[in-house]
Amino acid sequence: MTKLKTEALRKSFGELEVLKGLDLEVKEGEVVVIIGPSGSGKSTFLRCMNLLEEVSDGRVIVDDFDLTDPKQDINKIRQNVGMVFQQFNLFPHLSVMDNITMAPKQLKDLSGEDARTLAMRLLDSVGMSDKADAYPSSLSGGQKQRVAIARALAMEPDIMLFDEPTSALDPEMVGEVLAVMKKLAEDGMTMVVVTHEMGFAREMADRVIFMDEGNIVEEGRPEQLFGNPQNERTRDFLDKIL
Amino acid sequence: MNTNMKRVTVFGLLLLTAMLFTSTMSPLKGHAEEDTYLIATDVTFAPFEFQNEDGDYVGIDIELLAAIAEDQGFEYELAPMNFSAGLQALEANQVDGMIAAMGITPEREESFDFSNPYFESGPVMAVRDDDEDISSYEDLDGKTLAVKVGTTGAEFAAELAEEYDIEISQFEDSATMYEDVLAGHSDGAIEDYPVMAYAIQQGLDLRFPEEPELGDEYGFAVNLGQNQELLEMFNAGLANVLEDGTYEEIVERYLGDSSEVAPRAGFFGLLQANFGPLMTGLGRTLVLTLVSFAIALVAGTVIGLFSATPSKVLNVIADIYVTILRGIPLIVLAFFMYFTVPQLFGIQITAFTAGIITLSLNTTAYIAEQVRGGLAAVDKGQLEAARSLGLPYGVSMQKVVLPQAVKIMIPSLINQFVITLKDTSILSVIGIVELTQTGRIIIARSYQSGAMWIIVGLMYLVIITLLTKLSNMIERRLIAND
Ligand SMILES: Nc1ncnc2c1ncn2[C@@H]1O[C@H](COP(=O)(O)OP(=O)(O)OP(=O)(O)O)[C@@H](O)[C@H]1O
Ligand SMILES: [Mg+2]
Repeated sequence: MTKLKTEALRKSFGELEVLKGLDLEVKEGEVVVIIGPSGSGKSTFLRCMNLLEEVSDGRVIVDDFDLTDPKQDINKIRQNVGMVFQQFNLFPHLSVMDNITMAPKQLKDLSGEDARTLAMRLLDSVGMSDKADAYPSSLSGGQKQRVAIARALAMEPDIMLFDEPTSALDPEMVGEVLAVMKKLAEDGMTMVVVTHEMGFAREMADRVIFMDEGNIVEEGRPEQLFGNPQNERTRDFLDKIL
Repeated sequence: MNTNMKRVTVFGLLLLTAMLFTSTMSPLKGHAEEDTYLIATDVTFAPFEFQNEDGDYVGIDIELLAAIAEDQGFEYELAPMNFSAGLQALEANQVDGMIAAMGITPEREESFDFSNPYFESGPVMAVRDDDEDISSYEDLDGKTLAVKVGTTGAEFAAELAEEYDIEISQFEDSATMYEDVLAGHSDGAIEDYPVMAYAIQQGLDLRFPEEPELGDEYGFAVNLGQNQELLEMFNAGLANVLEDGTYEEIVERYLGDSSEVAPRAGFFGLLQANFGPLMTGLGRTLVLTLVSFAIALVAGTVIGLFSATPSKVLNVIADIYVTILRGIPLIVLAFFMYFTVPQLFGIQITAFTAGIITLSLNTTAYIAEQVRGGLAAVDKGQLEAARSLGLPYGVSMQKVVLPQAVKIMIPSLINQFVITLKDTSILSVIGIVELTQTGRIIIARSYQSGAMWIIVGLMYLVIITLLTKLSNMIERRLIAND
């Protein structure tokens, strides 16, 4: 079943066309990894999927709802699409616990007690239960990102979007975050991941997409795209990073 | 999301308007059925009107008005304000009449109806006792003369200036004018003879090099064509008090040889004697500051949020508001609120209300800018993270962005609070008796400006220092939460 779909998606910043008509279909439980050179439009593409970026043309469809329809209640759909950012974006004025419980308390009418129970379960699953009362400023990068994942999961989304979740981390912390993501994927979460971690892509992706200059240049299973890339630009890119 | 946001912001606008206007203005009162007249008078014009040490208004005008009102059986309330402000208030129908040692001149008769004259006096020039240079008007070449804005004395000075090379300094009250001469800034002052004579009798080191000019007759004024019944009562009452000797008694009390001379107190004596009025003035300064700042904090936050929303319309509204209100000097805004607005809309506003509106509107613009800056300083990833969770724009701002912005803004808000507190002193121009105006009033009766301005300055300094310390403590408490 299709969870998320973009149709002829275009995005321009002023004169600059950043996305040039992208078609993508993500099935339920599928893990799609997007790779590509800097400035190719990966982040913009991802941010269009929950309309953090306004779409210039084309459609974004989540479940059966058209996000680009102006009548659409976008907040309702965003609850179902979690997002994890490169810079974590934890709320610095709130404790780890409050970071996680704030949205469910506001949007799901959870009681404080239920929200705490939910948060403790999520913190446990990302290995952060001992930091529930800490403030973000006292956490390491890896810990912050794990809390950020727990925060996104607190709305119990069906789809998770990751924008270079490990790029801002010291190398020794990359593993702990990838481990959490692997577990999520194994539990059947539908995921779209922009990353430079080719190991993760090889191991976890059902499909890898190579983007360049606002186009999807090539896509396929990881062993196929990494092992036998068809397009010259894909080969060039892979040569440079591998 | 858009319609929701619009609803929120429209609500905000309504609230703002309601707060600033509806609650503070009352419809024009009909004086025909409600026979308490509001009578403007000058604040500091001894011996015609001034405050004694108990804070009561006394003086020839005040007692004459009281005697006439009693004789005629009408009720009135005094509205003391600077002379020129009083003229404007009368023209704007903010008050019903004015008694302020006002000379009856042809120009004034174009705007006002005057009673029969009740006092005769002409302007006179005073110079420093120890000033040997000036013994007649001819010696004024190249000198500076102090006058009071809008007075007959000012007109006389202007005539002198046509003949001689004189520079003219304009002042709002007599005491400041005398001080200017005593301090050596001006070489002479022109003022009505009885007023100056009274001041010299009270111990001011001035003398008259020339005889008083021929005069001017003082009259009670109402706006042209308005309140004629009040004018008639005044004339009838005046005739009665002249006849029964009350008039003479009053004038004798202030200008006769037997009138008592107030002893000149030292610094502490001055402070002690005026402690009550000073504290009342300080209290009013604080109320003005706190109320205006509280309103401005709410309104400024709303307008600051306007400029941070994606809505272009709201951006423009915020921009227009800030541009206009930062572009108008506070004193002009105060005059506009107190004199122009009532004429435009046919409503009556008390000076205190006009003062609070003025200060709130002005402070709102500055706080809005600080809020805008504070919001812009919050990483935009914060709003995105909140929105990505499905939180609506309003909730995201309220729970995530605003709390962080507030922390960034606290130092500049404390600064703004201090500025607002000091700005209250400007509101004295529309007759609000806050701390600065209290100082002026005390100087008007004690003629001790040197010591008084030190006292007033110290009071501002102490209260501002205390409040700043307190705010810093709160700030530290808030930041420790991180
Ligand atoms: N808000 C914006 N305004 C104008 N141009 C933008 C904006 N955001 C992105 N761009 C431009 O769009 C293009 C694509 O940016 P995007 O961030 O999507 O690339 P990316 O593939 O994620 O790159 P990276 O690997 O460096 O993160 C770039 O040229 C960028 O400069
Ligand atoms: Mg990117």
